[in-house]
Amino acid sequence: MNRVLGIELRRSAAVGTMLTLAVIGTLLIYFLEQIYFADGWMQLAMTMRLYLALLFPLALAAGAWQARREQRAMVAELFSTLPRPRAQRVLPVVLAMTLAVVAGYLTVGLAGAAWIAGTARYLPAAVFAVVGVGLLALVAAVWLGLAAGRLLPSPVTAPLLAVVGFASLLLIPGATRPHDWLGMMLSPIWAMNMPGPYETMNGLVSAAQGLWLAGLAVTGMLLLISGGWRLRVAAVLPVALGLALGAAVMPRSVDVLSAVDTRAKELVCSEDEPRVCLSRVHAGLLDEVTGPAREALTVLAAVPGAPTRVHEDTSTYSPDVFPPRQADVVLLDVEVGQDAHLENGADVVANVLIKALSNPWSCGEYSGRSDAMAAAFWLLGREPALNGELNQEAVDEAKVLWQGLAKLPADEAAGRVAALRKAATNCAVTDGALLGGARP
Amino acid sequence: MRWTILYLRSRYAPAALAASVAGVAGCWVLWSLFSDSRDVGVQMVVLTVLIAVAALTVTLGGPDDELEHTGALRWRPRRVVHLVVALLVVAVPLLATLVTGARFGPAGLVIRDAAGLLGLTALSATVLGPARAWFLPLGWTLGAIMVPLSEPALGRVLSWQAQAPDDRAAGATAAVLALAGLAAWCRWGPARRVSA
Repeated sequence: MNRVLGIELRRSAAVGTMLTLAVIGTLLIYFLEQIYFADGWMQLAMTMRLYLALLFPLALAAGAWQARREQRAMVAELFSTLPRPRAQRVLPVVLAMTLAVVAGYLTVGLAGAAWIAGTARYLPAAVFAVVGVGLLALVAAVWLGLAAGRLLPSPVTAPLLAVVGFASLLLIPGATRPHDWLGMMLSPIWAMNMPGPYETMNGLVSAAQGLWLAGLAVTGMLLLISGGWRLRVAAVLPVALGLALGAAVMPRSVDVLSAVDTRAKELVCSEDEPRVCLSRVHAGLLDEVTGPAREALTVLAAVPGAPTRVHEDTSTYSPDVFPPRQADVVLLDVEVGQDAHLENGADVVANVLIKALSNPWSCGEYSGRSDAMAAAFWLLGREPALNGELNQEAVDEAKVLWQGLAKLPADEAAGRVAALRKAATNCAVTDGALLGGARP
Repeated sequence: MRWTILYLRSRYAPAALAASVAGVAGCWVLWSLFSDSRDVGVQMVVLTVLIAVAALTVTLGGPDDELEHTGALRWRPRRVVHLVVALLVVAVPLLATLVTGARFGPAGLVIRDAAGLLGLTALSATVLGPARAWFLPLGWTLGAIMVPLSEPALGRVLSWQAQAPDDRAAGATAAVLALAGLAAWCRWGPARRVSA
């Protein structure tokens, strides 16, 4: 058996399939739009699933192409005279193609892993479920492809099947509306785009998707080894069973679409004081954040009522969940850049100061950003300038405020910054709060 | 006449023609049944062109291309006619839908994609052989439909199939592919010595 499998691995479309999936998948996760998996392993697993949109139809086509090999070599009639059970005869090639899609998909994962291995730490079990469903989708695709290529041995079958598979994935959301739970179960690419840092997949969703895809795969296998109409009719059973079981397991509520991993949001802190804490999913960035964050805390110490700790702001929205407001904690937004390291690391010191001097997100009141920026850079003793600031208008405004602040006598300016800090702890910062109004 | 019939038979033309037209008809029926809009979505239009072209791929070679290469026939004009007819077979049914309830348009996009994809297929057939000639058109087109890039000109070249019909970069890409495919396949014909 091993010898036959070895021959099939070399003589079938397995190597080509594996390389095609691996290369196309890797190109997609790296070069399409941007890298969406810089945050961690879950994001990588979900991004891989998203690009099944292309890998799934390609696996279908690969199976159908492989199944027509005997026709292409003009030995189909000859081989059909062999006194050997069909199942036994197709087993090596099925194994070879299955290995090919599994290896291709895992290679995409490894290629992505190489990018984030330095900073990604948090590896929840759900990651394996998400990858497992992806693998199952490709196995089901290649088995269905083999079956279709065998039942309809025409040169058109393979490309047509790929188009049909691709179109089905595109049409599932429209066809299942308003039953989103059904669409999510049927389509392995549903809700996989641009995963947020704390996003996860509900285990029951993965289980339901797994059951449905397993049913699909078994149906493909039965069609592939069937010799007569009885088995072909019976092949409907596994897919119907998978659909029914999956539907029984699948949660109906819509909030599974944006499942938040509370363990990923839990804070992981630096060992020594002053404490700097990041969410578990970003724990690998702790070394990059701690130094500048402490530097900022030292600068802040001059302000009365200054905070003594820096925590990551782990707010998630719809439903809104905010970290608690504490007077001695600065809530810092942590963003992971395309290189899987901290985005705009040079801005961290200034950002900690700005966040200490502005309302936390949980206030629902977002004004006063220029004031906070001006005060922060007054504490740093330089003109406002941020590398990663998208709102350049706010920076220009902050420059004007900063000049106004610098013209004031030193203790007057210090008093105004202290007042801003006090306002920030009460959600009371408004535009113009720094220079406008009476001196406290 | 007799030669033409034999040629078409040796190119599996009846089956390919049936598959191509049936593919277009199937897409037309699907859209008519499931959509309220008269104008077919651009993704569906491109997919339909892809189906029609993929179905005709098989006609780019015969049962024994090696043997045919030894024939003292003037292949080049015949191959030009073959590709032009193939383009008509793809484009005419789609353009005919413009007067029906499910319009596969705009015409510029249909003709651009049909010509470009046929050229790409012919080019592949020259290099890889007709049996494998659909690999590249299929993979490329599905990718382009999935993410039609509009920003840099390179993005529009890479996803030319899904661009607006008046897009210069996409039109130029399709023209280059069409002419290259026409020239290569007419000059050299389908690849010989391709293992199964």
